Amino acid sequence: MHTKFLGVAVAVCATVATGTALAHHSFAAEFDANAPIELTGTVTKVDWANPHTYFYIDVTGKKGDVENWALEMGSPNGLMRQGWTRDSMKIGDVVTVTGWRAKDGATKGNARSVTLSTGKKLFAGSSQASAETK
Amino acid sequence: MGRSPFSNAATGVLAVAMLMCCTQVHAQAAAHAAQHEAPAPTPRLADGKVDLGGHGIWNQPWITDFGKQVVGPDTKIPFLPWTKAMYDYNKSNQVAYDPQGFCLPPGGPRMFGTPYPSQFIQQADRIIVIFEGGAHVWREIHMDGRPLPKREDLNPTYFGYSVGHWERDTLVVETTGFNEKTWLNFNGTMHTDELTTVERISRPNRDTLHYEATINDPGAYSRPWTVAWDIPWLEGAELAEYICQENNQFLLELKDDFGNAFFKDVPTTSP
Repeated sequence: MHTKFLGVAVAVCATVATGTALAHHSFAAEFDANAPIELTGTVTKVDWANPHTYFYIDVTGKKGDVENWALEMGSPNGLMRQGWTRDSMKIGDVVTVTGWRAKDGATKGNARSVTLSTGKKLFAGSSQASAETK
Repeated sequence: MGRSPFSNAATGVLAVAMLMCCTQVHAQAAAHAAQHEAPAPTPRLADGKVDLGGHGIWNQPWITDFGKQVVGPDTKIPFLPWTKAMYDYNKSNQVAYDPQGFCLPPGGPRMFGTPYPSQFIQQADRIIVIFEGGAHVWREIHMDGRPLPKREDLNPTYFGYSVGHWERDTLVVETTGFNEKTWLNFNGTMHTDELTTVERISRPNRDTLHYEATINDPGAYSRPWTVAWDIPWLEGAELAEYICQENNQFLLELKDDFGNAFFKDVPTTSP
């Protein structure tokens, strides 16, 4: 529980310190700011494309069931300016993602941060973490 | 006051984290201030004119609410009833139908408040502004003294037709000939093709671009109004390619007011 709160505070901090995150469309039309998610899974696909980079992970549930989640990040340019490279995340890597779930309940979300298989944590350049929430 | 949802321990952890956060921000601010105690002076060209370019990019902020950027004696947006109604409607659906979400250019002053960087290419007879965002578009500002054409003589466009001149160290740009396919701002402030703008752009030091735009649209607002913000410089940084249209998944799931797919020919899988 404590780490969860710490996580929230650090995320707020990261947002303030990072400043501009790249944004293209309305976050609120697609994602639910009141539905935070934290997922760990195996990368199945990375779409390093505009206007938003997407990656997909297989998440194994408690009963052994596997769901494939689609996660939206910022534009490739925005991610690169925040320390990403196109090789930061590869198919087969196990990553942990925090973010917000899609409003329609689909296995889809807007990523806030990604902890890579190397342990390095990168800001995901999501629209939510930018001015829209101010 | 109800019982706090947080335990004392959790609140303590949160407080420490926030303190760490604030310390970090303050440290950054202090470093920033030290670095900027004597900001580099405004760069100038050989003829003495302010150089809006250089080896860097303008790191544009995301201005999501023009209502917070209004300057002057009255800081309210002077909506006409229809623009207020449309503003309220756009808010009611979380601005889902913002043209920029369709990868169309933000257009007008909003282009400088869209969070993708920009660069000025300054020539004697024209100034070109290249925008990384919206998507990878540019504006041409004629500086050769030609008059601003009449609106009715122009083909309406996203960025309109711009002529500029210098007033001391401020670049003054007049623009007319806008189409009606953009919003003035992300938050759903709309306009008509009667829109004209006067932008005042200055560079008080190397690291700051001061941007001001007066919006005059008698078809949408009861009087002219002015918005302003600063844009920081990123020395040494470069623009990158940004083609918005290649993977705009937002549109695949966009619904109309009745919950139907916005586009009838939406593919079942992304291209």
